[in-house]
Parts: sequence; C-alpha cells; structure tokens
Amino acid sequence: MSTATQSETKIESPMLERPLLLTASQNRSGWLLSHAGRTLFMLVTAVSVVAVALIFVFIVREAWPFFASRGVAEPLGSTAWEPQPHGGNADQFGMVAMIFGSLYVTAGAMILAVPVGILAAVVLSDIVPFRVRQAVKPVVEILAAIPSVAYGFFAVLILAPLMQTHLGLSSGTNAFNSMLMLAVMAIPTIVSVAEDSLSAVGRELREASYACGATRAETLWKVVIPAAHNGIIAAVVLGVMRAVGETMLVWMASGNANRIPGPWWNITESVRTMTATIAGEMGEAAVGSMHRHALFAVGLILLLFSLGLNLMTEWLLSRSRRKA
Amino acid sequence: MNIPWRMRANSVFTVVALLSVLLIVASLLVILLPILWRGGSAVVFRGTVEFRRMQLEQFQRGDTAAVRAEVERAAGVRRHAYEIIDRFSAGLDTAGLETKARQLHREFGAQLRNRNLDDDDIFDLRELSGELRDEFLAALESSDNAEALGHLETILSRTDDERRLHGTLAAAFFDMAREYRDVVGRVDLSHREEYLDSLQQVKEAMQNLLGPQSSERLPAIVMEQYGATRWDQAQQHLDHLLWSETWVAVVPGQPLVKTRAPMEERFAGTELAELFPYVRDNAEAMLRPEWTFYWRYFLDDSMSGHYFGGVGPEILGTLMVTVLAILLALPVGVITAAYVVEYGRETVMIKALRMCVNTLAGVPSIVFGLFGLAFFVIYLQPKLGLPQGSSILAGGLTLSLLVLPVIIRASEEAIRSVPPSYKEAALALGASRFRCFVTVTLPAAMPGILTGLILSMSRAAGETAPILFTAGVAMGPIPTSIAQPTRTLAYSSYDMAVGDKMAMLAPHNQFGMVMTLVAVVLILNITAIIVRGRMARKLRGR
Repeated sequence: MSTATQSETKIESPMLERPLLLTASQNRSGWLLSHAGRTLFMLVTAVSVVAVALIFVFIVREAWPFFASRGVAEPLGSTAWEPQPHGGNADQFGMVAMIFGSLYVTAGAMILAVPVGILAAVVLSDIVPFRVRQAVKPVVEILAAIPSVAYGFFAVLILAPLMQTHLGLSSGTNAFNSMLMLAVMAIPTIVSVAEDSLSAVGRELREASYACGATRAETLWKVVIPAAHNGIIAAVVLGVMRAVGETMLVWMASGNANRIPGPWWNITESVRTMTATIAGEMGEAAVGSMHRHALFAVGLILLLFSLGLNLMTEWLLSRSRRKA
Repeated sequence: MNIPWRMRANSVFTVVALLSVLLIVASLLVILLPILWRGGSAVVFRGTVEFRRMQLEQFQRGDTAAVRAEVERAAGVRRHAYEIIDRFSAGLDTAGLETKARQLHREFGAQLRNRNLDDDDIFDLRELSGELRDEFLAALESSDNAEALGHLETILSRTDDERRLHGTLAAAFFDMAREYRDVVGRVDLSHREEYLDSLQQVKEAMQNLLGPQSSERLPAIVMEQYGATRWDQAQQHLDHLLWSETWVAVVPGQPLVKTRAPMEERFAGTELAELFPYVRDNAEAMLRPEWTFYWRYFLDDSMSGHYFGGVGPEILGTLMVTVLAILLALPVGVITAAYVVEYGRETVMIKALRMCVNTLAGVPSIVFGLFGLAFFVIYLQPKLGLPQGSSILAGGLTLSLLVLPVIIRASEEAIRSVPPSYKEAALALGASRFRCFVTVTLPAAMPGILTGLILSMSRAAGETAPILFTAGVAMGPIPTSIAQPTRTLAYSSYDMAVGDKMAMLAPHNQFGMVMTLVAVVLILNITAIIVRGRMARKLRGR
C-alpha cells in the first residue's frame, strides 16, 4: 500500500512537513480509503439483515399455499394429522397435538430446569468464592456446547433402557425422557443469563440488606432476586426458546406419537413435537405437495413463536439494563 | 421468626443451592462419561486373531506371515471343536445319510453293469442291495431306538452277504449300518428333531464366535467372513453358545420371564456335551485376544454398514461443511461487529441490525434446515447450474447463517474490550479510522475473535437439524466436490442411534461415532476456554 509507506516515512522524519489535520482534498487517498472501507463495511453488515429477510420470505413463500387452501381453522382446531392417508381418504393437517407436544415437553423441562438453574446462578454470583466460580463456569459452558444429537443418543441408548428396566415403562422413549434431557440442555442458558443479571445488581443493595441484619438467604430471596427479576425472566424465556426449538433430542427421545397424553399429566406417554414432525416427515414429502407446504407452515409457526419470545427477552433485558 | 430459625433457613438455602450446582456437574459427568468410555472401546479394545485377519485382508495391514501363523495356531485349537460337531451331526443328519444310501444303490447298479457278470447274478445282487437299502432307510426313518436297532441288526446279521459283496460298493452299507448303530446307541432318537434345532443354534453360535470354517466357501457379506473380532463381543457370542435362553410364562397372564439354562444340559449324555467345556476353556486359545490401539479408527472408512472400520469419511465431511461455513461467516461476522462498534452512531440502523442478529440467533435450528432446503437447495442451486439436491455447499451456507450471530457477538465483545488508548494513539498519529481498525484494533482483538471462531466451529460441527435436508446422507461415497452430499459425525450419530439396524450389532461403533463427535466439540471448547483465560490474564497485565 503506497499510502502506508508514505505516512510511515512521514512519521519517522523528525520534521513534520504537513499539518496535523488534513482536509479531504489534501489527503485524497486517505479520504477515499476511509470512505470506501466504511461503505464496504456497511454492505457486508447488510448480510445479516438480508439473511433474516430471506428466511422470512422463503418460509412464508413455502407455507403460504397451505394457509391459502386450508385456512387456520383446520391446523389450529384439530389433532388429526394424516398427511398421506391410505385408501383414498382426505388428508388432514391438524396441528394441535404437536403444538401441545412442544409446549408440554418444554413446560416439563422448565419445571425441572428453572429452580436448578436459578439456584446455581445464585451460587455462582453470591455464594462460592471466585476460584470455584472459575471452575464451574467451564462445566456450564461445556454442558451448553455438547451437541443435541449427543444428548439424543444418550437418551435413546442409555436413559431409555434404564427407564424400561427400572421404572417398568413399556417404552423408554417418552415425554418424561425428553423433559429430563431438555432440562439438562436448558440449564446452561438459564444459569449464564441469570448469573449475569444477578451480578449486575449493585453491591449497595446487598450491603444495605446485610446492614439491616438480613441473612444471606433473606438478602438473596427478598432483595437480590427481586431486583434482578427482569434478567431472570429473560433467562427463563431464553431457556424456553432453546427447548421449543430443539429438534434432534425430542425427535429421538420423545417417542413421536401424534396425540395428547391420556390423562394430560401422564408424562410417561409418548408425544410428538413440531420440530420432530418437520425433521421426521420432510424426507417423505414430495416437492410441491400439500404435505410439504404443511411442514413449512409448522416451521413458520415455530419461527413466529421464537420471534415473539425474542422480542420479549429483548424488552426484558433492556429494562433490566436500564435499572442497573 | 426468631434468630435460630432464620439461621437454619439460611443454611438450608445454602445447602440446597450448592446441591443444584453439584447436580449440574453430576449430570455433565453422567452424560459424558458413558459416551466417552464406551466410545473409547471402539479405539482401545482386546482385538482377537479375527480382527488381525480382517485388518490384513480388508485393509492390507499387518505382518502377513505373522498373522497367517497365528491363524494356523488358532485353527489347531479350533479343529477339535469342529470334529466334535461333525461327529455328532453325522449321526443326526439322516437326510444326508438317506441320499447317500440311495446314491450308493444307484452307483452299485452302474458298477455291476460294467463288470462282465451274467444277468441273473446282476439281478440277484441288485435285489440284495435294494433290500439292504430299504432296511437301512427304515432304520433311519424310525424315531424309536429299539426299532431302528432291530433294522440295523437285520442288516448286520447277514454276514454271508457281506462276504459276497466284499470289495464292491454295496459293502459300504454294512459300514454305514455299523456307524449308525453307534449313533443309535448314544442318541435318543425320539428327541432327534429337538437335537437338530439345538444343533443348528450351536452351529450358528460357533460361526458367530469363530467365523466360517476354513474349508467352507467364503460368505459373500464381509461381516460374515469373520468371527468375533473383539474379545467383549466374543464373550457375548460365547454366552449364546453356552446358555440357551427361553421365555417362560411363570405366572399365567403375567409377562414372560427370561430363563437361562446351560446348553450342555440339553445335550447331556451325547457326544456334543463335550464341546461346551472345551470351547469355554479354550476360547482364549481359539481367539488369542490382545490389547489393540486402533488409532486408524479415525481415518478408516466403514465396511458392512458400520460393522467394521472407522469414522474417517464422517470426520472429513464434518470438517468440510464446518470449514466452509466458517470461511463464509467469519469475514461477514467480524466486519459486522466492526461496523457496529466503530461506526455505530446511527442508532436506528444499529438497533435494526442488532434485532436482526438476535432474531437470527433465536431461529430454531430446524427452521434453518427448512430455509436451507427452500433457498439454497431448491432455489439457488439450479440457478448456479448445480443439481437440485443435498450438497456440502448448501449445508455450509446454511450453517454459516447459523453461526453468524455467534461470531458477531464474540467479535463485538472482543473489539469493544480493546483498550481505547490503543485506538487513540493510532488516531493521534494521523491514521484514518479504517486504517486504525485494520492495523491496530483488529490485531489486538484477534484472541477474542479466535475464541468466537473456535466456539462457532464447535457449534457448526455439532448441529444436525440444519444439515438433515441440506447436506447429510447416512451412507454414501466420499464426496469429490462440494456439490455432493456427505456423511457427517452428527448425522451419522443420529442415524446409528435410531435409523440403522445393522449398527445395533456393533454398539462399540455406535458409541465410537458419538464419542468422536463429542471429543471434537470438547477439544474445541477447551481450546477456547484456554485461549480466553490467557487473554484475560494479559488484559489484567499478566
């Protein structure tokens, strides 16, 4: 680069020959480089915006024929999902059972993961010394990094046989299995976001509480956690997002029966989620068929759901930032 | 509440909270250790002589002479076991004896015609041979020991005829009768059918344990050409040989209960009973297990489904898809981060950008897969003149979108954490903002960006849902261009766990596949943690 060598020689020379501040006309190449670089940066930055736009456009484009011909009453009003019926029956695309399945395993996972996650975040931010915290954080990170297919593998080949022999269940792949594994997968997200927001609560609040004679449990329970509630709720929402969007694990571990469990609280029955339906059936849905459009429609519901949760977290996190 | 109670509540809270951390650590160990331990057994195990033979014949590996010598030594020990089986099945296999007797009679007739005898003699001798044959067949057919013995004694009592037939083919009838008389003396003929079934089981178990006998024709399927290649597998097959399992209804209406009985009992009193203690005591000499470190597992292609061989193509495929994704996402990610930090004053635009990045990070991975299918595979590939189907290119593009937010966030943080004094110094020397960024800020932020890079590689390597419809196949050749689909560690882990029935026969390879994936992810993450630790120390001033 010619400008680079030029300016370096200038700097090395004892006497500066040009004024410290150059106008655009005096340093044309520098001005051009700066502005060209900036424009280039801006163009490249647009890639992520374009990507999001393309994702929406293409998912909607593929899902549109389904909603156009079936409306929303059928998918959101029935549990019968018969994309390729035998014997000339009409195909049916009721999505209620799989939407229920997604929410069901997510709710179960959250009941397990939220208390553990928040308590662990409290431990990391307030109870253990710095060294222990430095040792535990990588564990949480590795837990988050293990691929979901490995969790699914564990669920199918190790956990499911154990459940069959020790709990006497007829099938080890069921809602309970996926709830347990989803909880393990959602915990790292909850811990790290909740811990950040707990740490962001100022020292003054804690000190004030201790000065009033509160124990550590009381300080945390009545002062710190309420003060950080926005961030903690955001952590839970992010955990929900992780669980709802999870595919491989639920596909492998949930048993994939498209129905709502007998009594609704029977978690040992098998369920099927939206993600698992897409993953399992896309391979057999022909290009341009109603089945394929229906699967894209399921994808669109998922996408809108995660977008909604995303906006919610952002709002919550911005509120917690403003407070802190 | 009084103070002791408050203190007690405080300790209870602390203990419960600490337990939750222990629970997290424990769940990591519970999930990781079995996968790593059992997967490790795909690489380090006690390999038998069959394994070394397989490596020699299928992969041209090892010392030919040494392996041959070892096979010979093992075959020496095995021979006795096969002899026991042959002797036992000779008596039981009446179908074989039956055809033999009929054939003998026919051939004897042919032999007579070639000898220059007169017709009466020929007729006489044929008649005689026919009588012997019928008597023998009657003995074979009978399932009552006394009756069969009666028929055989009738044959053997005709000593005159034996002398007369001496030197002809028909003399063999007497030998066969004598042999079969021995069998009848030993075996309870009324259980013959049962013995035959069990014998079939025993033969199958022997085949699984030791492979086909060297005299037999080689099976066409590679999997069946070898016995147990691993000592743990051999012990399972040995168990099947030594024990018979049956499902018995102990209580009517209740689920059946599995019961085990030694095979030896079934054959009690017969010649075959001797086989079981012999195989049990000599299994090690027959298979010669040795500790093997099969490091080529990570390079070898798999054979016979995933029964033999390793995960080489899967590692290669994962690497190709991941590297492609990173190559595409890294420049975009770093530049986006740079723009946000360096020029991030137009708040509306930056806000919109940030929202897009967050949305991208929140899109479920299966939706990325759908998008990759609809856009890259079906829309873009035909426009580029490529066939409409899964390809490494489509998978890499899809994954690059998936890791883009990870790279953007990590790079942004890294660039922000560069001390402002660096930048101020560069600006004071007259560098433009762009040059200041390229020559000063970027090098200083490099370790942080590198951490983000490593983490996003681990993320891309582990994702399965986005490549389900865009790049992955369960079986297939090693790709030669990026327009072809590929096997990957993540996809194959899924397929071997649920889809592939053959893989169930080789659990060590099932676990080996997922162990390799987990190991790749762990190595990348630990590297990232170390790099970040160094960086933090450096920023703190060592």
